[in-house]
Amino acid sequence: MIQLHDVGVRFGARQVLDAVTLSVPRGGRLGVIGPAAAGKSVLVKVIAGLVAPTTGRLVIDGIDVTGFSEERLAPVRARIGMLFQNYALYDFLSVEGNVGFPLVRRGEPADRVATRVRDRLRAVGLAGSEAKLPSQLSGGMKKRVGIARATIAAPELVLYDEPTAGLDPVTTSKMYDLLRADHERSGATAIAVSSDVAALITFVDTVVFVYQGRAHYQGPAATVADAPDPVVRQFVRGALDGPLVG
Amino acid sequence: MIGERTVTLVGTRAVAVSREVGGITILFGQILRALLPPRIDGRELVKNLHKMGNRSVPIVALTAFFAGGLMVVQSAPFVKRLDATSLAGWAAGYAVLREVGPILIALMFSGRVGANNTAELGTMTVTEQLDGLRALAIDPIRYLIVPRVVSMMVMLVCLTVIGDLVALVGAAIVAKAVLNIEFGIMYGSFTENLTPHDFLHGVYKSLAFGWAIAVTSCYFGVTVRGGAVGVGRAVNAAVVAAAVSVMLIDFFLTYLNV
Repeated sequence: MIQLHDVGVRFGARQVLDAVTLSVPRGGRLGVIGPAAAGKSVLVKVIAGLVAPTTGRLVIDGIDVTGFSEERLAPVRARIGMLFQNYALYDFLSVEGNVGFPLVRRGEPADRVATRVRDRLRAVGLAGSEAKLPSQLSGGMKKRVGIARATIAAPELVLYDEPTAGLDPVTTSKMYDLLRADHERSGATAIAVSSDVAALITFVDTVVFVYQGRAHYQGPAATVADAPDPVVRQFVRGALDGPLVG
Repeated sequence: MIGERTVTLVGTRAVAVSREVGGITILFGQILRALLPPRIDGRELVKNLHKMGNRSVPIVALTAFFAGGLMVVQSAPFVKRLDATSLAGWAAGYAVLREVGPILIALMFSGRVGANNTAELGTMTVTEQLDGLRALAIDPIRYLIVPRVVSMMVMLVCLTVIGDLVALVGAAIVAKAVLNIEFGIMYGSFTENLTPHDFLHGVYKSLAFGWAIAVTSCYFGVTVRGGAVGVGRAVNAAVVAAAVSVMLIDFFLTYLNV
């Protein structure tokens, strides 16, 4: 279970996150939505231990990991897979090298890594792209390589930062079908940030609406369009008129 | 009013420089910590040794050849006037081994390898690749920075030794062409007047220069902010910082005659 208690993050004079409290049960799927620059990506990076909270506590499976050093965070991170907004594919490695990297670093045998990489690439629709370099891929392909890398080591928690940004609607649907099937099979917890609310709510069961650095609203994904909060309703429906600022 | 503005400007600059020096010191501490015990990623180390060293040999050799020749050309009028042909090799060799060789090769290395290193690490930073490593529980300092720092230090020493040799050959060839001094006389002038300390003095300098170029180029690479524009700024800052560091270190090592 992931729990954030009054988490705040400040970069210089800017308060990016402010007193965010939320919890995600084991196996749960949380969608993070909100306007641009609301702090969604920072929230995910806090959960991954990549950004240290200025205030508050981060608890993972009952262990308070706030303030852990990089060394102490290592075993926690080993249980997490993450897809980055900008893919974060390693330029110096091929597609095969990128996807297999988490397994190679764990010391898994080369033949096992190769088999797993082939399976994962087939699952994301990139079979035969093993030898390509990231610079030879389109944005959508990079995204799929990133998803393959984030999930290859069967992590207990997968964080997706904009998993379908830049993908066409059909590929977006395919991608969420893939994520859904993956998570139903593995039972892993998922936290996904996306601006494509309509597609996201087909995958997650709960959403949190981050607005001006705060967890402004939390509720079931299925009914978010009819949320009692007018700011959330306006954002989800994409209405021009309403109380939403920014 | 102008005085107040000047003080503010100087103060702001001083704070900015202190911040960078502090950051470089912290990174150096992290590198030292990662080296104890020394667990370096072998593949990254070999890759960097090749990329930073082997590929720099032609440009370093070319620079060194002309640097050696230049020393002879500069001293030619005095050698002719004093008829001191037996000292031509000593003059060129002394300047090349102790000063000109290490400095020129270090500045060349900084422009070629250091700038490239900053750009590469900077691009990795802005595209979240360093965070990507951390997310996989891999320490970027140990995995990326340490092999680069070790490679740069080792390779700058190797390149300086190669450059010294090429510069002496260049000096002998130019001495024959310009002053008609026989190779045997130049060889004798080198061996009789230059000491192992002259050579080692340059080697120690190159080791220190390699450290300075490596740490500054890595620091400005991993602290990039602001996308492609930020990478450009970081490369610029890294080259300037490395050049200033090289000059400062050179002054103190020469003064101490290490």
